[in-house]
Amino acid sequence: MQVIADRAPGAVRKVEMQHLVGRKIAIDASTSLYQFLVAVRSEGNTLTSSDGSATSHLIGLLYRTVNMVETGLKPVYVFDGKPPTMKGGELAKRRERREKAEESLKAAEEEGDEDEVVKQKKRLTKVTPVINEQAKRLLKLMGIPYVTAPCEAEAECAALAKAGKVWAAASQDMDTLLFGTPVLLRNLTAPAARKLPIEEIRLDEVLSGLEYTLEQLIDMGIILGCDYCDSVHGVGPKSGYEHIKRHKSIEEAIKTEKFAKGVPPEWPFDQARDLFRNAEVSECSTDFVWEKPDTEGLVQFLVHEMEFNEQRVRSAAAKLEKAAGKGQQVRIDSFFKITAARKVVKREPAKSGTKRKDATAGAGSAKKTKK
Amino acid sequence: MIEATLSQASLLKKIVEAIRELVDAANFDFSETGIRLQAMDKSHVALSFLHLRNDGFSDYRCDRSQTIGINLASLSKILKCAANDDEVRINAADSAETLELTFESSGKDRVSKFNLKLMDIDTDSVDVPEMDYQATVSMSSQEFARIVRDLMSIGDTVSIDATKQGVQFSAAGDDGKGSIMLKHQRTSDDEKSSPSTTVEINEPVSHSLALKYLSNFAKAAPLADRVTINLIEEAPVMFEFKISDIGHIRFYLAPQIDEEMDG
Repeated sequence: MQVIADRAPGAVRKVEMQHLVGRKIAIDASTSLYQFLVAVRSEGNTLTSSDGSATSHLIGLLYRTVNMVETGLKPVYVFDGKPPTMKGGELAKRRERREKAEESLKAAEEEGDEDEVVKQKKRLTKVTPVINEQAKRLLKLMGIPYVTAPCEAEAECAALAKAGKVWAAASQDMDTLLFGTPVLLRNLTAPAARKLPIEEIRLDEVLSGLEYTLEQLIDMGIILGCDYCDSVHGVGPKSGYEHIKRHKSIEEAIKTEKFAKGVPPEWPFDQARDLFRNAEVSECSTDFVWEKPDTEGLVQFLVHEMEFNEQRVRSAAAKLEKAAGKGQQVRIDSFFKITAARKVVKREPAKSGTKRKDATAGAGSAKKTKK
Repeated sequence: MIEATLSQASLLKKIVEAIRELVDAANFDFSETGIRLQAMDKSHVALSFLHLRNDGFSDYRCDRSQTIGINLASLSKILKCAANDDEVRINAADSAETLELTFESSGKDRVSKFNLKLMDIDTDSVDVPEMDYQATVSMSSQEFARIVRDLMSIGDTVSIDATKQGVQFSAAGDDGKGSIMLKHQRTSDDEKSSPSTTVEINEPVSHSLALKYLSNFAKAAPLADRVTINLIEEAPVMFEFKISDIGHIRFYLAPQIDEEMDG
């Protein structure tokens, strides 16, 4: 959200994966699988085995997870359970968008516009139950823990982080922050080829930067648009922030005329708010265990069924095996107290003539030109 | 206003070489009493500490405490331009944008000046409590460097076991395993020159550590004849290199633990 970048710049840090050594992280599986399906492509099509079943998500999941484990991260994948009823509107909207994309795809194919075909095919990408089941099977063979959320995966990720079972929740969806995760990681499962830096967003710093309570942040999120109800028409990030800043809550903001006229006819904001505040999550009582991979099982699944290259699968399995055998690297900050980033007095941006001598020489030459 | 002079450039070179593999850029805190640096590596597993006392410099002046952010790779490049026995003078004005380094040859017949652009670095600072270590191993720093080098050809992780009898370093890898035992020697009268190892111990301690960090720490061996390894359960291991007459470098390394203990 742009508001956060503007108002609480300290809350968002760009980090490398190395920074996360030793961290347990709950990953929202559906956004990750979606990212893999979109990213791992050849000529606009998802990769498939010869019988046509998609493999992009498995390739992405395998290599990205191996990469994380090798670096020393401890990923836990969280899958969506049943969708909340409130999401009906959003889901209907998505269905509408898909239908539109299908039409555009047909049109583009007839016209032979290849770029457009690729674009629309990406829009049509969908994480199906089959894809989820395959992903779970792969994770099990890899020895990576996963859970199925009672309801929304983002909410469960946030709950696990709040309960201290993991250090952070990883999702592309900013809603995860509204569910109260202390730390949100974005772009963790973005493809390495896109070189997107991982963003580490800290809730406490977001709140202190905006001078908001979590309740107010949720209200702002609802105004600007979440999965559960429509956004308020004519209220952008800037005015949305101002409304909550001034009126403290939607109930108060709605009393102003400017705000009220943008409110959609049916706007169950209080129900949406309740979904964030009292999300349906598990008790978060299980401890996660990272196990050694089942190499032969991986070969059976990926090589014999999905037609992966055997050598590459075995080498990925060997990396997992090695990482699982190693002791867990602990971080310095799990022993010593870290005080927040020290703010150094900002120096003037370095100009070309930063050296003192140059500066005086510059002044001298300036005089000359005056003559 | 900062002015500090060291009679031997080699000392500063060695200090920078000892930490630059671990940290790309670091804040140097200059104060009346000397220079301090604290920096963590990218993965927050190792912490480096440097302390240089004002009395170790042939000349030292710092009117107002000042923090200077330096890219260590750039500093290392500039220091390569100094001969080992050149005198080094460091100058920075209050809230300066550059650090000036002056190298003067021992014959006083050659003076070179370099300016290094400074950086703004946001760093987390770490509060390290004083600890009563359960075991302190004192050994030759050259010996330490050699053991690290030898064990790196075997595996990625070293286990350090300190007992009354001595200290054992062991590693295991795909091709086999290896271990080196240094026996505790009674302190001899002239401890400094003796290559012997001493172990002061309250309770036996054992830790597993990533060798790649130890090989970085070993780069401090040219600064000190001896290194002490300080161990305590449930805390990072501290490696201290005392730099004669001026201060010390300390490295803290978080251990690796077995999965079963993880909770």
